[in-house]
Amino acid sequence: MTSTQNIPSVKAEITKPPSKFAFFTRSAGTLWANWKSRLGLIILACFVFVAIFAPLLAPYSATQDGFERNADASAAHWFGTTAAGEDVLSQLIYGSQISVSVGFIAGILSTIVAIVIGLSWGYIKGFGADVINFIVNLFLVIPGLPLMIVIAAYLQNGGLVMIVAVIVITGWAWGARVLRAQTQTLRSRDFVTAARFSGEPAWRIVFKEILPNMTSIIAGGFFGAATSAILAEAGLEFLGLGDSSIVSWGTILYWAQNSNALLTGQWILLFAPGLCIALLALSLTLINFGVDAISNPRLREGKSR
Amino acid sequence: MFVLRKIGLFLLTLWAAITLNFLLPRLMPGSPTDAAIAKLAQNGPVTDATRAAIEAQLGVPNGNILEQYFSYLHQVLTLNFGVSYTFYPQSVSEMIGQAFPYTVILVGLVTVIAFVVGTLIGVLTAWKRNTWLDALPTLTGSFASTFPYFWTALLLLFFMGYVLHLFPTSGAFGPTASPALTWDFFTNVLYHAALPSLTILITSLGGWIIGMRNAMINTLGDDYVTFAEANGLRGRTVAIRYAARNAILPNLTGFGLALGGVVGGSVLVEQVFGYPGIGFLLFNAVIGQDYPLMQALFLLITVSVLIANFLVDIMYGVLDPRTRR
Amino acid sequence: MNPILEVKDLSVVYESNGAVAVQAVDHVSFTLEAGEFVGLVGESGSGKSTLGFAMTRLQKPPARTNGGQINFRGKDIRELDEESLRQQRQGGFAMVLQSGMNALNPVRTIRNHFIDIFKAHGHVEKGRWDSRQVELIEKVGLTRETLARFPGELSGGMRQRVSIALALSLEPQLMVFDEPTTALDVLVQQAIMETIKSLQKSEGFTAVLISHDLGVVLESTQRVLVMHQGRIVEDAPSRDVLENPQDDYTRMLLSHYADPRAEVVELPGFTHRTRPVADDAESAPGATRAARAAQREGRSADSAIVVDGVSKIYPPPRRGEQPVTAVDDVTFTLEPGQSLALVGASGSGKSTIAKLITGVEKPTSGAVTFGDLDVARLGRRQMRELHKNVQMIFQDPYSALNPLHTVEYTLTRPVVNFGGLRGKEARTRVLELLETVGLAPVEQFAAKLPHQLSGGQRQRVVIARALASNPQVLIADEPVSMLDVSLRAGVLALLEDLREQWGVSMLYITHDLLSARLVTDNIMVLNGGKVVERGKTAEVLQHPVDPYTIRLLDAVPNPARARDGVA
Repeated sequence: MTSTQNIPSVKAEITKPPSKFAFFTRSAGTLWANWKSRLGLIILACFVFVAIFAPLLAPYSATQDGFERNADASAAHWFGTTAAGEDVLSQLIYGSQISVSVGFIAGILSTIVAIVIGLSWGYIKGFGADVINFIVNLFLVIPGLPLMIVIAAYLQNGGLVMIVAVIVITGWAWGARVLRAQTQTLRSRDFVTAARFSGEPAWRIVFKEILPNMTSIIAGGFFGAATSAILAEAGLEFLGLGDSSIVSWGTILYWAQNSNALLTGQWILLFAPGLCIALLALSLTLINFGVDAISNPRLREGKSR
Repeated sequence: MFVLRKIGLFLLTLWAAITLNFLLPRLMPGSPTDAAIAKLAQNGPVTDATRAAIEAQLGVPNGNILEQYFSYLHQVLTLNFGVSYTFYPQSVSEMIGQAFPYTVILVGLVTVIAFVVGTLIGVLTAWKRNTWLDALPTLTGSFASTFPYFWTALLLLFFMGYVLHLFPTSGAFGPTASPALTWDFFTNVLYHAALPSLTILITSLGGWIIGMRNAMINTLGDDYVTFAEANGLRGRTVAIRYAARNAILPNLTGFGLALGGVVGGSVLVEQVFGYPGIGFLLFNAVIGQDYPLMQALFLLITVSVLIANFLVDIMYGVLDPRTRR
Repeated sequence: MNPILEVKDLSVVYESNGAVAVQAVDHVSFTLEAGEFVGLVGESGSGKSTLGFAMTRLQKPPARTNGGQINFRGKDIRELDEESLRQQRQGGFAMVLQSGMNALNPVRTIRNHFIDIFKAHGHVEKGRWDSRQVELIEKVGLTRETLARFPGELSGGMRQRVSIALALSLEPQLMVFDEPTTALDVLVQQAIMETIKSLQKSEGFTAVLISHDLGVVLESTQRVLVMHQGRIVEDAPSRDVLENPQDDYTRMLLSHYADPRAEVVELPGFTHRTRPVADDAESAPGATRAARAAQREGRSADSAIVVDGVSKIYPPPRRGEQPVTAVDDVTFTLEPGQSLALVGASGSGKSTIAKLITGVEKPTSGAVTFGDLDVARLGRRQMRELHKNVQMIFQDPYSALNPLHTVEYTLTRPVVNFGGLRGKEARTRVLELLETVGLAPVEQFAAKLPHQLSGGQRQRVVIARALASNPQVLIADEPVSMLDVSLRAGVLALLEDLREQWGVSMLYITHDLLSARLVTDNIMVLNGGKVVERGKTAEVLQHPVDPYTIRLLDAVPNPARARDGVA
């Protein structure tokens, strides 16, 4: 039977293999079907839109000053002006660029670190695994924000790059732990053994067999890491430990507190940037409700008792 | 056996954290030591003893790293962290001693309360899944948990403090009160701690609710819950002794790991409220580039979280018979 | 006539979010008489468990009853409010779940499980709690010391006994057993079925036994309901089902049972084996098969797998315990073209031997060689060489295929890696393989994802993958135990054909003696890591010597034996 070569190879073109993206469209459909994650996706899309088109949407430049100082809301300045005489609305719009990009970049970087460490950790045995376990646990329990504050204090005004680096250093451990557990579950599955029997090299087993089966967990880890990155960035900027010359939601709050907005009663200056941070973080949290439901079917089912 | 292993692991982690604290300033570009001594020189001449203490803590450029390490360990064990520059001539240990109790009460107590309350609400939401009793706490909780700590703090401070004048706007006790073990002083402290506590409660509660809810939805799908229902146990027994009792375990692990985040957030809260705890002190140390104080504070915060995690681990062992074997 | 349960036109539907509703149980009606022992049989997806859960009103979303009545003692339990339903569970209907091992709360002692039930219903006064617990736990064949234990400290069989004792403590009139022995070891399964049977007699409750195994059901019950696609297709006394089945589906199920001890063993697809196998074995099978194998094109000299005095000792699972000897001084040779069965209960070491042969584990002592390869000392390249020649067929077809890859991708990888084929050539080879394992039309199957295939089809893909490297040896680890009975014969027949036509030798690992009888020439029976009996399969099974082999044979469900029992 092996020697039969009579199957015409023309037939090979007849059926198209299903799209590689079938899985992703299916997952996206599941996300969209969940009203929480749908709402999250919509909010996130709004912020991304505002960040990209900030120069078109903002009435003034973010750093353009010389307007009346500490002005209340008016037709010219919907949200009033800052103590330095800048337009608050424009600052808010430009500020979205910082938060959105820090969230994405720090989220992606710490996810990559988590994947590399989590997967190799799940794949090795013995003393090496114990050592990684110890290091990951250490990074898990060391309080992130105080560590960031200390590092930021040494690197005087390191700017955004420093902030992103610090967030990545302190933020990868959780993802690595989750991914390691999943790697261990998957590698005990027969299809991984079967791939080895099929002569697959180790890197192919990791990237073609194991990794694609963790998409939802990786996505969940990314959204989680992005959320904490956005909150941490804002926190550091608020403490004045970042680059206080850039315009971000964190620095708006920093300058607002330093110029005693609390006493002058300019509540919009306090309220609006914080609300933006909260909404952006909320959108990612909401999306993660849907992602959780993909990786854990028990969270998915509808009505009960 | 379990406890011994946990203690061993704890000591090892403790050592690693102390060593990390030693390495941190030495890994940084520039010389924190020189910056520190220059800073101190503004207050007056620097004695050799002071210089040695700073070098042990922050590193000597080109010095013998092992010698420095042992002298650092000696410092840590004798709790001698040198003098603070911003609060010269007070010693670092003195400063920390004054601030620590406030933070322990504020952060420690409130966090435990938030965890207990959040877990209970989480049980309720999972049990009443897909009713308004589920949707309301879940949604408000997850919304509130995305609030940046400092923002919640600022809003509360602004509305409750500055606009409505319901609560004091800064400090741990009023200007007229003096620290003493009296009822008046006690209530005064509580009154000042109210807003910071509320901030921590609002921002951390959601996480515990969602964590417990997810864990319990998982256990509600387990076979022993179905079997308990088949045996006609009362709903409350099934919910608490079967589903919630098992869901507590993963939630407790989550608690230990999330603790660092809460402690970090409280730094911001203390700063906003001018609350004289560890976080506020850390902020001032950072602003004043008071490296000895900063290093000691970071060590203290890390060790506290480590100890809390150790206690959580031990509690886990008590609650789970499977670890006892 | 004293009906205890009347089910009328009952329907249960599955309504998942965003999925098409599935009518799992479709207008089912039947009546149970008090004191009866009734079997409910069906293959996976027939709706039998769904019906069992609905009968005791334990169905959970997304399942929902959408029509009909369930009258228990004349009252429709669909109408009961939560509290009366709860109270009805004492002295009414109880259920023992399929996964009895997970049915106990891991953080509560067995004693507390009993006390929870006593407290919930108050049917046992506090003073008698202790004596009642002891009485119940001894009824199911456990000692009173068990009461102080946590579930994690008990074996699977013991846990299932505890769940039976707990259900019994409710003093139920009706007990539903949902696949009570499925996840357990063969010998334990049999012992627990014996306990259930004797309890049913002594306690006098009405019992429903839900099972996928018609053999088990016919052996134990007086009446059988056969379910197929949500409907009851046959409802008759066990004896009538056995001797005069009315429905085609029942007849098909019955045709898949045979006694491995019989002179002649016949299953659909195995008619060519009707002549006594023992005679065939006389004519030096090794030689003929090797000759056949040698005819194959492009094959290097065939090598035997030699297992020589191999032991495998695992370190103690917990500190202070004894090391575990999984394999104890086992020696055998798998000749080219030979088919050898490795038989034993779980924990007998049979799967460990498979791991040792494929290089997944290294032996503690002794040696495994394949040709000139010492399996325990292989470098990366030699391991590849071994895998090119020794392939594996896995037990669980659901876990053996990556859910994200198409059949074509899965089969292309070994073709590319071992065959060195690329592009169209590789694809042609993949289609050939699909044809070989009987998955036609091949193009359609090539494009499918695992979740679009049935269990039997998946197992065929797994076999095709194992064949892709054109191996000399197949290690088949329980290849049919996860499949429905009706699908098993097809897969077994395929394995048998491959062996005859390709001359592949096969190590067939199983606890199922019937399938071993069908596809192997020689057999080895393992107990506690030791070989206790070996020889020609037909001879060993017809005239077993070792008591362990005899016990294994007795545990094979056999409707024919039921007939003798009933008669």
